[in-house]
Amino acid sequence: MPMVNKRVNFNRIAVHAALIFYTLIATFPIGLVLINSMKSRSAIFGNPLSLPTPSNFDLIGYQQVLEKADFLHYFGNSFIVTIVSLALVLIAGAMAAWALGEYRFKGNTMVALYMAIGIMVPIRLGTVSILKMIVGMGLINTLTALILVYTAMGLPLAILILGEFMAQIPRDLREAARCDGVSEYRIFTDVILPLIRPAVATVAVFTMVPIWNDLWFPLILASGNGKQTITLGAQQFIGQYVTNWNAVLAALSLAIAPILVLYIAFSRHLVRGLTMGAVK
Amino acid sequence: MTSIAMAADTSVGRRKWPTHIVVFLAPAFLVYTVFSIYPLIDTIRLSLYAADETGAQHFIGIGNFVTLLTDPVWSKPFWNALRNNFVFFAIHMFVQTSIGLALAALLSLPRLRGASIYRTLLFMPTMLSVVIIGFIWQLILSPLWGISKGFLSAVGLGALFAPWLGQEGTALITVSLISVWQFVGIPMILIYAALINIPDDLIDAATVDGAPAFHVFWQIRLPLVYPTLGVVSILTFVGNFNAFDLIYAMKGAQAGPNYATDILGTFFYRTFFGYQLQAGSPTMGAAVATVMLFIILVGVLFYLFAVQRKLQHHLA
Amino acid sequence: MADVSLRNIKKAYGKVEVLHGISLDVKDGEFVVFVGPSGCGKSTALRIIAGLEEITSGELYIGGTLVNQIPPAERGIAMVFQSYALYPHMTVYKNMAFGLKFAKTDKAEADKRVRQAAEILQLTPYLERKPRDLSGGQRQRVAIGRAIVREPAVFLFDEPLSNLDAALRINTRIEIAKLHRQLKATTIYVTHDQVEAMTLATKIVVMNQGRVEQVGAPLELYHHPQNQFVAGFIGSPKMNFVKGTATAVEAMGLTVDFGEAKPMAIPFGGSGATPGDSVTLGIRPEHLGEGTRHGMVLTGTVEAVEHLGEASYVHVRRDDGTLLTARSPGDSRAEVGSRISVSTDVDHLHLFDAEGKAFARHSKADAA
Repeated sequence: MPMVNKRVNFNRIAVHAALIFYTLIATFPIGLVLINSMKSRSAIFGNPLSLPTPSNFDLIGYQQVLEKADFLHYFGNSFIVTIVSLALVLIAGAMAAWALGEYRFKGNTMVALYMAIGIMVPIRLGTVSILKMIVGMGLINTLTALILVYTAMGLPLAILILGEFMAQIPRDLREAARCDGVSEYRIFTDVILPLIRPAVATVAVFTMVPIWNDLWFPLILASGNGKQTITLGAQQFIGQYVTNWNAVLAALSLAIAPILVLYIAFSRHLVRGLTMGAVK
Repeated sequence: MTSIAMAADTSVGRRKWPTHIVVFLAPAFLVYTVFSIYPLIDTIRLSLYAADETGAQHFIGIGNFVTLLTDPVWSKPFWNALRNNFVFFAIHMFVQTSIGLALAALLSLPRLRGASIYRTLLFMPTMLSVVIIGFIWQLILSPLWGISKGFLSAVGLGALFAPWLGQEGTALITVSLISVWQFVGIPMILIYAALINIPDDLIDAATVDGAPAFHVFWQIRLPLVYPTLGVVSILTFVGNFNAFDLIYAMKGAQAGPNYATDILGTFFYRTFFGYQLQAGSPTMGAAVATVMLFIILVGVLFYLFAVQRKLQHHLA
Repeated sequence: MADVSLRNIKKAYGKVEVLHGISLDVKDGEFVVFVGPSGCGKSTALRIIAGLEEITSGELYIGGTLVNQIPPAERGIAMVFQSYALYPHMTVYKNMAFGLKFAKTDKAEADKRVRQAAEILQLTPYLERKPRDLSGGQRQRVAIGRAIVREPAVFLFDEPLSNLDAALRINTRIEIAKLHRQLKATTIYVTHDQVEAMTLATKIVVMNQGRVEQVGAPLELYHHPQNQFVAGFIGSPKMNFVKGTATAVEAMGLTVDFGEAKPMAIPFGGSGATPGDSVTLGIRPEHLGEGTRHGMVLTGTVEAVEHLGEASYVHVRRDDGTLLTARSPGDSRAEVGSRISVSTDVDHLHLFDAEGKAFARHSKADAA
């Protein structure tokens, strides 16, 4: 540790000042939306920076949102799509990562590289064909379409992360099991899967956030029939009621609130997952 | 592979591809191929076709690309979008990476009180949907609400305020900065992780060697995180040339004002789905997508071969 | 070159005090080794001398100057780290020259010093290589070279040999000793290995739990440990300790009952003890031999015999459960399970009181 003397103490203040300054920049807009979503329209314009007080507290925005749009339903859609995609990514990804890492077979490197392409090349560019396929399969405007696409999207990175993690599991564990005559499938389910639990958090972060926040695929593949995700639903609602500030602010708040709550609850896990995964 | 594993495989019958390997690989391989790789290849294939009014398609080789690059109806918006995309990327590279680096450097200072709180709060915007972010900023920058004007007036810069989002000259920069605002958390976290992985001993040795704090950062810590900066750059590049959501949310598919905020992603969307002036064209859309793919591949290959190799040589 | 003085140095992390008032004088040119078990505070003390840790209270003088508030670079010290701490992105040359840049040494002088140090350490062929292309021993030499070029008043070594394999450790140890003779530099060296301490030091500082147990020349500590801790720490295999009770106290000696046939009179202490006190006898394995040849005899059952070729170590379990280690010639015929007597000369005994403090030995001259 460097010696602490007067010089470093002075810098300490500057450091905190800079950090606080930028933190305000980072969080202020979010806070602003949240507090104003609960104020009356006149208070929003008259006193944008003030917290809601009993006199200007007004949940009319929320009322309108919940009346006019099926936000709860949209939440449900987002939830289903994200969770199911994550589950599929984890299972298929773990199996593939395991096979690629553990068994030496002809074409192992090729397959690994093949799967890794998806990390760098964005799946969106194939949308023209994806749409054709989805329509052809009769899956337009279904959550299933989204789930399939997102699973494909999330697999490459998940395989990379899980693969790195599995490489750290001591060989002895697997070889002991093999000596006991356990089948490869059982080794996977009983020995490997329980041990990669810590990596699940990292994979979850990298997989779920982009899915939840994505606008492109819901817009193109599932934009109607009540199959909208919360992101799309919020965007459509806001587009429609753009002059109704109360409703707009409420809609934004509703869209952010669950993520914020989850984020704050799990922030340590998330950051640790990212810093772990980043050490490559 | 261990001798035991080899024995296990031999016992299954000496096939090159024992069943269990296929079973393990199949689901991921299939889903990925069908929904990721095949569509990309099919898109490239499609770009080599044109369709007439009936929808029938016929092969025209690189005709679509020629049209895209030279026919003013297409090339004007294309080159505009391409140029805008590079501006978008440049702003991200310089502003986002600098701020991310600065924040990471500050956060990684030893014994910084409240570091985890800062980290959590600073990363918050990145977690939120781009759509939400877009609207929040639209509201904040809106002349109607007056918040931004108010702030600027408070520091005496009230005269600077303008409806930046609505003006051709400033719209792209504004949108880019908003995107930077949102995503600065990612380089911040990645660089932070790399910085805290530098062994304390190296910093101690530099201190004993007499390097003042500034030099310790520039000559010891920064060079050791070059690989991470490389990763951040390529991720930014790919992300930026693929971007769509923010612009669409804030400016719609037209990416106004007057296409000032049009980037390749929005151009692609319009080309494919069509808009008021033009019917959507899957084949031209495919052509645009292929061009985007090409640009991204060039960037990725450049990174893999030029940048990465230089970094391997540079460090342990 | 310079003296180093620690005056009642205390170090606390928050409420936890890890150094409880260390006072020490290191003379110019001495090779002082801080030795002790993990967590005894030796590395902390070294880092305090380097300026990498703040001093909670007490004074530190280097070359006569109070350096408490002076940053590491200005103290005239150079440090060799356990992990070598070489900058991976710089060549060997740049690694060694790095510190000189900030000392504002002119380029020609810096180049001369780097090449000289490389010459001494046989690193000249490797100057343009990066650390990752070097072996562990070579990296260690680069770390030492980096310290040498700064021509410091004091060299600080923090467990530099811990990461090397056994053979390399011995070679490097010899080189460090040679370097010390060549440069005549004041050196402060930290290790947990008492063999390194014994072979390298002109003065050893034995530390335990944040305190100095004893300071002295290696052989001084070996022959005259002032307490049980030092007695047990210095010397390998560890000294045998046998509990006993003082049955009679006279001016020139104590009679101690240590659980054998009859109590023995031994020329220790006298004034400080009272009958009934617990005492501990200390006997080094190399002074404990098979048979009953010498004055003091202990008996037990052979539990294990380790043949090392040039010597054998016979482990004897006494009836009260204590385990003794005796050193025998390589061709010892001791059999596991058999009863055995081992004996030592009274002259080789050490005696410690109930608190572990050593009793003074009365020489034959005193008795006369």
